[in-house]
Amino acid sequence: MASSDKTINTDVPEKDVFAIHFLQSLSNLTTQNPFNSPDTTNYRARKIKKAAYVSMAKAAGGSSRLWSRALLGRAAKENNKIVRFARRKRKVTWKISSKRRSDQRAPEATDRLRNLVPGGGTMETSKLMEETAHYIKCLSMQVKVMQCLVDGLSPK
Amino acid sequence: MDLTHGFGARSGIGPVTGLESLNFSDEFRQLVTTTPPENSGGSFTALLEMPVTQAMELLHFTDSSSSQTNITKLAGDISPHPFGTLTFPSNSLLLDRAARFSVIATEQNGYISGETPSSSANLDRVKAEPAETDSVSENQNSKQNQNKRKEREKKAKSSMKKTKSSVEEDKLPYVHVRARRGQATDNHSLAERARREKINARMKLLQELVPGCDKIQGTALVLDEIINHVQSLQRQVEMLSMRLAAVNPRIDFNLDTILASENGSLMDGSFNGESYHQLQQWPFDGYHQPEWGREEDQHQADFPMGSTTLQPNQVKVEL
Repeated sequence: MASSDKTINTDVPEKDVFAIHFLQSLSNLTTQNPFNSPDTTNYRARKIKKAAYVSMAKAAGGSSRLWSRALLGRAAKENNKIVRFARRKRKVTWKISSKRRSDQRAPEATDRLRNLVPGGGTMETSKLMEETAHYIKCLSMQVKVMQCLVDGLSPK
Repeated sequence: MDLTHGFGARSGIGPVTGLESLNFSDEFRQLVTTTPPENSGGSFTALLEMPVTQAMELLHFTDSSSSQTNITKLAGDISPHPFGTLTFPSNSLLLDRAARFSVIATEQNGYISGETPSSSANLDRVKAEPAETDSVSENQNSKQNQNKRKEREKKAKSSMKKTKSSVEEDKLPYVHVRARRGQATDNHSLAERARREKINARMKLLQELVPGCDKIQGTALVLDEIINHVQSLQRQVEMLSMRLAAVNPRIDFNLDTILASENGSLMDGSFNGESYHQLQQWPFDGYHQPEWGREEDQHQADFPMGSTTLQPNQVKVEL
């Protein structure tokens, strides 16, 4: 996919990359839990969803995007594994200073966006928008991959 | 109709009404009535119709390639300039001047004052004209001057660098801002303006990404739309993962373990050249027939038709 702006880079790898990562994570899932044990569909669904997000984060360029790092960090914490990324230099964000000033603002659109995008809690608004753009692209890729899988695997 | 009054009204010049040598007015009337008034500024006859000074402005204009609308604007601007005593030339003199000016029009603006004829009748005009040309040329070049003034303003008042292009960010150590005329230029507001422009640029990017967002006016609604889109995508992921979980659980995904072992660890989205090359050769487009099979041995050519099989030959060849 070509980047749409010269200065803002929102390149996203091809579908194959997402596919590979997703299948890898799925195979890890199936090897972990042999299907002898009665797994309810919900439980498996949740696992698959987690695997989908983790694989998406990996495919999107593991530590080069803030949201992917946040996702991977979150997943690792759930598995009680500690993953540390090379910490990138962070400039003082205006957001932090504004948070102290007015905490009782009605949930604005940007705040809602921060809740949606992983790792969006402590980003500048401009950075948040960049991450959102990349996140949207990756999400749509992942959705395409999963859709194709489901279509291919569902009984004809 | 009285021509002198007409001229006075148009140019607002006092001495035009005080035409002393009234015998010229008849000749003038002849001149003007014979030539049909045209308003295309470049035509010779239109020049003759207007007073000399305005005609010269027009010539300056066509020289400096400004739009037609500026002419009327400047015609209005010229009116407050008071002139000295102006005497209208005789018929032949006017024609001479007009001809000369049309020739001079191709040269630069500053030259005209030097090239005016120095006949006795024209001496006063010569004195008046350079003063007028300076003011006129200032007005004519106002656009260029405005730009220069803007830039000087910016340079003087702000310490940031300016570029001609729009705001550039992210790659450069400091922000390039273009301060518009009439806006505050202290550091805080400049920084805020830079930040706002940054955010607006990214918002535009997001607008292109989300379908149906370019029709909406207003950033709040666009943001709402973006949030809806993200939420819908996340819901789709959840739906699809449930469907995948509901699919026949006896699917074995061993094929990609082969891939993993062959290609090493695929931790990051950035592959090295050859592994990515292999991936591209793999015809996995669209997954129209993604077929998975149970495999006993990695090197087995044909797979038992459990549920489905992936194109095994191709995969074997690639690996």
